[in-house]
Amino acid sequence: MFRRTRRLALISALAATAVILSACSGSPDQEPSTAPSAPDPAATLHVGLVLEPTNLDIRHTSGAALEQILIDNIYEGLVSRTQDNEIEGRLASDYKVSDDGLTYTFTLNDGIVFHDGTELTSADVVSSYETVRTDATVQGNAEFAAVTSITATDASTVEIVLSEPNQNFLFSLTGPAGLVFKADDATDLKTAENGTGPFTLTRWNKGSTITFARNDAYWGEAAGVAQVEFQYIPDFTAGVNAALAGDVDVLTAVDPNLASQLEDDFTLTKGRTTDKATLAFNNERAPLDDVRVREALRLAIDHDALIEAVGAGTTLYGPIPELDPGYEDLSDVISYDPEKAKELLAEAGQEDLELTLTIPSFYGTTVPKVLISDFKKVGVALDVNSVEFPTWLEDVYTNHDYDLSFVLHVEPRDFGNFANPDYYFGYDNAKVQDLYAKALAEVDPDKSAELLAQAARIVSEDHAADWLYNGETITAVSPIVSGFPEDSINSRINLAGVTVSAEK
Amino acid sequence: MIRYALVRGALLIAGLLVSSVLIFLTLRVFPGDVAQLIAGTQASPSEVDALRESLGLDRPLLAQYTDWIGGLFRGDLGTSLLSGASVGEELFLKAQVTVPLGIMSLLIAVLIAVPFGILAALLRGRRGGTALSFGAQALAAVPVVWAGMMLIVVFSVWLGWLPPQGFPRTGWSTPGRAIEALLLPALTIGIVEGAMLMRFVRSATLQAAGQDFVRTAAAKGLTRTRALIQHGIPAVGLSIITVLGLQVAGIIVGSVVIEQLFTLPGIGRMLVTDVGTRDLIKVQSELLVLTGFVLIVGFVVDLLHRAIDPRQREAA
Amino acid sequence: MTPRWLRRLWSTPTGCFGIIVVAVIALTAIVALFWTPFDPQASDIGERWLPPSWPHLLGTDDTGRDILSLLMAGARTTVFVSVGAGIVATVVGIALAALGALTARWMRETVAVLVDILIAFPVLLIAMMISSVWGGSLWVVIWAVGIGFGVNIARVTRPELRRVQQSDFVLAARAAGLTPSQSLVRHLLPNVAPVFIVHLSWSMAVAVLAEAGLSYLGFGASVVDPSWGLLLADLQRYIGVHPLSVIWPGLTITVTVLALNLLGDGLREATDPTLRHRAAETHTPAVVA
Repeated sequence: MFRRTRRLALISALAATAVILSACSGSPDQEPSTAPSAPDPAATLHVGLVLEPTNLDIRHTSGAALEQILIDNIYEGLVSRTQDNEIEGRLASDYKVSDDGLTYTFTLNDGIVFHDGTELTSADVVSSYETVRTDATVQGNAEFAAVTSITATDASTVEIVLSEPNQNFLFSLTGPAGLVFKADDATDLKTAENGTGPFTLTRWNKGSTITFARNDAYWGEAAGVAQVEFQYIPDFTAGVNAALAGDVDVLTAVDPNLASQLEDDFTLTKGRTTDKATLAFNNERAPLDDVRVREALRLAIDHDALIEAVGAGTTLYGPIPELDPGYEDLSDVISYDPEKAKELLAEAGQEDLELTLTIPSFYGTTVPKVLISDFKKVGVALDVNSVEFPTWLEDVYTNHDYDLSFVLHVEPRDFGNFANPDYYFGYDNAKVQDLYAKALAEVDPDKSAELLAQAARIVSEDHAADWLYNGETITAVSPIVSGFPEDSINSRINLAGVTVSAEK
Repeated sequence: MIRYALVRGALLIAGLLVSSVLIFLTLRVFPGDVAQLIAGTQASPSEVDALRESLGLDRPLLAQYTDWIGGLFRGDLGTSLLSGASVGEELFLKAQVTVPLGIMSLLIAVLIAVPFGILAALLRGRRGGTALSFGAQALAAVPVVWAGMMLIVVFSVWLGWLPPQGFPRTGWSTPGRAIEALLLPALTIGIVEGAMLMRFVRSATLQAAGQDFVRTAAAKGLTRTRALIQHGIPAVGLSIITVLGLQVAGIIVGSVVIEQLFTLPGIGRMLVTDVGTRDLIKVQSELLVLTGFVLIVGFVVDLLHRAIDPRQREAA
Repeated sequence: MTPRWLRRLWSTPTGCFGIIVVAVIALTAIVALFWTPFDPQASDIGERWLPPSWPHLLGTDDTGRDILSLLMAGARTTVFVSVGAGIVATVVGIALAALGALTARWMRETVAVLVDILIAFPVLLIAMMISSVWGGSLWVVIWAVGIGFGVNIARVTRPELRRVQQSDFVLAARAAGLTPSQSLVRHLLPNVAPVFIVHLSWSMAVAVLAEAGLSYLGFGASVVDPSWGLLLADLQRYIGVHPLSVIWPGLTITVTVLALNLLGDGLREATDPTLRHRAAETHTPAVVA
């Protein structure tokens, strides 16, 4: 139904956040410059990334780190999404949705071949999607819950029938759920691949680099570079140093406080994302079940100052970010007012409140430090429990054992989490659930978005959580590189259109 | 000597066994769940259980332990639960950074400790000697991570002579750049360890100076310095060997922190990452390899020491 | 009346320095419980990255917190960790030493072997092992250093205990009817106290270094604990843009560790200058960070 949140997706977004977390003025917005000379088709592109996948099995392992490099480059689905999350055809040249929203018909492109040379037919699509539908260990299984049949009406047409309309179904096909694999393929997906994309995997030096090479037998337009080498540099300072040393041509997730070091040699771009820095309140636990307490906590936070400390990002006052359908500017719902916060807390009888924030340790310390300080000013003593991610998963996500939690939710279109009373937010509002169900069932995308916006407003007015900011991702691009994407980089880096010129 | 070697050998094996049991026991009791981690935040409980079974995490503890130890004897250090990669292969790869780093650090430490230690002994009682001793004390008190930071500030940020972090992705195929990358890290560890070592050298030299054979040599007409150098050096060498075991342990530990600071793709940094991601099998084998290495070095050093000077009794 | 060893300690320059600095740190820790120039937790985004100036005498960090206040509050953590580790090391050390010296032969041999084996476990590796199970925290530092150094203390104290136990006057006392525990308290412990106290001081130095290193790696103090090591880790990220900010926490740690080491050295000389330079001289604050 809705996208799954992936741990590594969270971590990647965290990376972007941590970048944002540094103090100091952010880097100025600049137009990407064009390459000084003609693109060199034999060039190698070196990209610095933050989070390395633990393995390459995108069918069974969740994580933005896998999606980031594998989707659209190595593997392809029937549809894919653009930088601003619009859906476009990929393996499918055309697609139609029936008026009742139950039948999806896809027409495949011609001449698609897998990297091992086999031709792709609709049978492969059917086999791939059947696996997603029936195998519980495969990513996307939940999104195929309403699928009743997947048939190949002919060698280049696939028809999918749902039992009820799902506005998000097509979008979910732009993720791991929609990728097409060769039927009965024996490749070990953890370390190898057999996709259809413009690149093939040539080498994985664990803990260091992953290398792709251009697929010359690609069915579509060939990639602009002969080779891509991803370097994984989890430390932001080290990333900047690598860029300065010329080890990478592009550095993603640049720490805003360090960005000034790269200004001279690189073009810095600020991209939008669907990263929602979510300060979750445990709505099921006292005193957070009192809406006055929740509102007071939101009033106590100086969001603008926090974003300045982090270094990049835009304010976000509701659960839906700009790049998702249903976005509305909800800044009228809350403001920065510590006095009012104190009043509300007094009213609720919670004057010397003690709360604990559970936060995965890789998020850095800037956000906790600012929160401790802001809350102290309204009389709330915040203790911070910095845990390893597995512990966060266990305590917060599975057992709902927490007061406040901070995590970057990077998945697009995951508003459904607030319509799910079993989700770790513990937020249970029948009206929101009703609106969300209607939004999913609505066939007209605009009407659906409107319903989502209504539901989002209720969630924000209920103060179900606080959204500290909507992450921005800063990318440093060398002048010899052009065509590198700007938005949504932590979940998709589509390299097909990137070129590197020979000069340096 | 043979008897001694056998006894120490038995102790070594006992040590390895006890260490492996301790490591295994400690690591199996944790709040995190590796199966849940791999499956992702929105996996259903049945998916997680299926994964747990396929990875063998639900088998009885003793079976898991014997599997691990049995594998070690076959040379198979296990496979990472998260990435499916062979632990042995990765250790070998990362060792290509850590071992040279350790050797360079040790060399630098010795190069600093021996001349300055002897000098401090010769200047004993004089202001130069006191200053040297105090300097060594001060350097030994410096947290090695801060020493690294200050060296980065001076040599990279200000002077720009050396790269501040990282190891070239071309690795040892570009030996010049590789050594450049390891220079600051090795200097950091070497200086701090050298400061500690220097005090041993100083006291060993002083002890040697008080020995009969040196005084006899002096009586025979050699200057105090030359007598010291001719006869004292072996004593100094012996004392260095005594503490070599500790030095190696110190370098290994230092490298864990230093590799993190300088983002070197070595064993230490891999250990830190694996502890964070709860990659059980990897952490077990890595810890055992490191501890085993320290134990083996200790064993070799003990034998060497005994061989060179059988008159020396063991301290404890 | 000041005991003789204390007077001797005070008379040496190293001992003097050690006592003064350690006293200053302890005093700062106590003062910091009640007052610091600024609230160490109060962020002021508008005042980020100030250089040493008025009123922030040592400047501010990345969220505008006052560094001097952070260092003062950090002294509390340092005292907590080093005293805690010292206590654990004491208990572990004495227990192991007693077991290894005063019991039946088989027990003594086993303990001797065990101690030899455990010595090889560097403190940092113990800490990482504990961290991967229970997550990092200051308690991890305390226990890791306590156990690691306790074993070290045991190794040195055990032969001392044995030696004293075999000495004439103890044997005579035992013959006269003194129970083992009485003999322990009256004769053995006071005689091993000097060696023991020296190593205790050194172990506290190790604890401070361990806290710095482990907090840097993320296995030590949490963000709510004011900690010198954590401050170091925080500021290290920005070395490229603010290189000198790391000087203060680093200097503070160095001076404290130096003082504790010198204190130990001075104590050794003051309590028994005739002590043979065996393992005692070979103390290494090494193996931590």
